[in-house]
Amino acid sequence: MSANLSTQTFKPYTGEKARISRAYDYLILVLALFLFIGSFHLHFALTVGDWDFWVDWKDRQWWPLVTPLMGITFPAAVQAVLWGKFRLPLGATLCVAALSIGTWIARIFAYHYWNYFPINMVLPSTMLPSALVLDAILMLSNSLTITAIFGGSMFALLFYPANWPIFAMFHVPVEAGNGQLTLADLFGFQYIRTGMPEYLRIIERGTLRTYGQIATPLSAFCSALLCTLMYTLWWYIGKWFATTRYLSNI
Amino acid sequence: MKTLIKGSHYKLNPSMVRLAHHLCPRGYERIQLGSPENGQKDYYGRNNITTVRPEPVEGHHQTPLKCIILLGLIFSVYMLTMQPVMAHGEKALEPFIRMRTIQWYDVQWSKQKFNVNEEINVSGKFHVAEDWPASVPKPEAAFLNISTPGPVLIRTERYLNDKPYMNSVALQPGGDYNFKVVLKGRLPGHYHIHPFFNLKDTGQVMGPGVWLDIAGDAADFTNDIQTINGEMVNMETYGLGNGIFWHSFWAVLATAWLLWWVRRPLFIARYRMLQAGMEDELITPFDRKIGKAMLIGVPLLVFAAYSMTASKYPKAIPLQASLDQILPLPAQVNAGVVNVETVKAEYRVPERTMTFTLKIKNGSDKPIQIGEFATGNVRFFNKDVPKPELGSSESMTSSEGLSVDNAAPIQPGEQRTMTIAAKDALWESERLDGLINDADSRIGGLLFFYDGTGERYISSLTAAVIPKFN
Ligand SMILES: [Cu+2]
Repeated sequence: MSANLSTQTFKPYTGEKARISRAYDYLILVLALFLFIGSFHLHFALTVGDWDFWVDWKDRQWWPLVTPLMGITFPAAVQAVLWGKFRLPLGATLCVAALSIGTWIARIFAYHYWNYFPINMVLPSTMLPSALVLDAILMLSNSLTITAIFGGSMFALLFYPANWPIFAMFHVPVEAGNGQLTLADLFGFQYIRTGMPEYLRIIERGTLRTYGQIATPLSAFCSALLCTLMYTLWWYIGKWFATTRYLSNI
Repeated sequence: MKTLIKGSHYKLNPSMVRLAHHLCPRGYERIQLGSPENGQKDYYGRNNITTVRPEPVEGHHQTPLKCIILLGLIFSVYMLTMQPVMAHGEKALEPFIRMRTIQWYDVQWSKQKFNVNEEINVSGKFHVAEDWPASVPKPEAAFLNISTPGPVLIRTERYLNDKPYMNSVALQPGGDYNFKVVLKGRLPGHYHIHPFFNLKDTGQVMGPGVWLDIAGDAADFTNDIQTINGEMVNMETYGLGNGIFWHSFWAVLATAWLLWWVRRPLFIARYRMLQAGMEDELITPFDRKIGKAMLIGVPLLVFAAYSMTASKYPKAIPLQASLDQILPLPAQVNAGVVNVETVKAEYRVPERTMTFTLKIKNGSDKPIQIGEFATGNVRFFNKDVPKPELGSSESMTSSEGLSVDNAAPIQPGEQRTMTIAAKDALWESERLDGLINDADSRIGGLLFFYDGTGERYISSLTAAVIPKFN
């Protein structure tokens, strides 16, 4: 029981040991998936919340600012563990995939079947492209600094363009009430939400608005900068949770 | 009224949230670490990260059980937080807010039994109290809403003072307004529905409620909208297929990436190899090639899809966030013909009676009588004066609850000091009597006068209430 076994003396598991070790892999994976479906989704619902729930909250300023910033948290922490301990470059993708599963379950069952909203009004956004790039950068760089700076930025910058193919069509103008609304706004008007009056929407507010047409890129760059910091913070949170207390017994 | 759902927006119960926050980190820790008690001597040496015990995992049967319990807990917390809050909360706000903010009257429904796809409307009037409570923010953004258990109806049109009203509006204290909301049946059922105001930073001020019966088949519901470009859009399904396509597209790529790694031995094997300094074997050159392809390919795909979309929808506009501008009507309440000054208000607790001493001046050219006092959606009628037509909606009326000390009509030009009493158990059942224990114990309401020709004059009352316990 000494320090690092050298490469020469390393023997991979075979037979029964390999089988058990593999069974353990699957057990951990399945548990992790469920854990992330529950906890990351809860975290996301509590932080991004309405921006992700409703089509008429997905504006060009707050939505691309808040969503990646809150979305990079769990991926950073899980990457810290899976890369740090196992050199597995799939932490971000795994987390975001779990989030997507949880979100879709909630939208279909809680929003559509229990509360009768059409699913298109509560379509979730996707962060999978962002997560794939984040995993790739971590694997190629093997560096917290590079991943935080470039990965964190890409995570934020890819968010809006990756989601525009889903949501652009809800920004088509319609004439309603002697004015123009987007179809998304019309969803908010027509499909009655008693606890969500129009004025509660936090959209199109603040100083970014003064930049008019380039509000979205500015928002995305602002988010990129913050994601860099958020990534680093959550990387350390992940590291702090994942002492190898248990694995060192194996 | 308790059977309906207050908000379609999920309220997260704070204690649940706290519990969830408490659970998540622990859950994380458990799953990552397992339980240490089965380990050997290395438990305390865990920070050294150096020891690799070449034994398979045994005796960890407790871990899965704990994990399952934990997951169960997380999921139950999660499902609980998803439960929409029950009841509409008509009585949730303090009585002084219900009586001194939006004062509803003449609320009517065009129909209470109708079919899916059929349009009905609710219309009415309200006075915004002059004596707006000091502790309540001024109504700078107000949204006329309909309390429903989710969108069982859709709102197709809404008017305030006969003007279309799509977003939110600033109301003026002392102002008079009329409203109309057109609704279309979507889901069959039996629902208790109120018009109400969401007031920014204040809450929901309910109007009077009715039962609606929607018959027919939900599958027949249609909601087609024409865009400015002339395209017809089915709101129930618009953009759903496209959204599912893009989610699936990225899900396939993500799944491929995950499987690329999961097909190999993972945790224990990789951990041991990493500890043995065999890092290079864990990421092969081919893995790195795929990583590079992803690093370039994913952003390219994103921008290609983005550019295609941008050219497909060149007329896309930002979400609209302006406030509607709608001014009050010419005065309907306190219109200057009949003037009322509230001298004093007393609430007799044992009799559940509110008495007002009023100084009334009749400036009209006909004798008038007090027919009704209304506050917080409770209506007290004077049995000696012909009652106006009531819709079947009115459950909170006291048909003989209003009495006056001098029943003789007030003559044109006459000024009279009178005492009126509004007596009914509704003060208690509607929890309006809580006023006397509040930080703000001023009452507000509307007083309705009638002359013999059916002309109506409305005055607002407002006064501090003095409780009397015997
Ligand atoms: Cu009700």
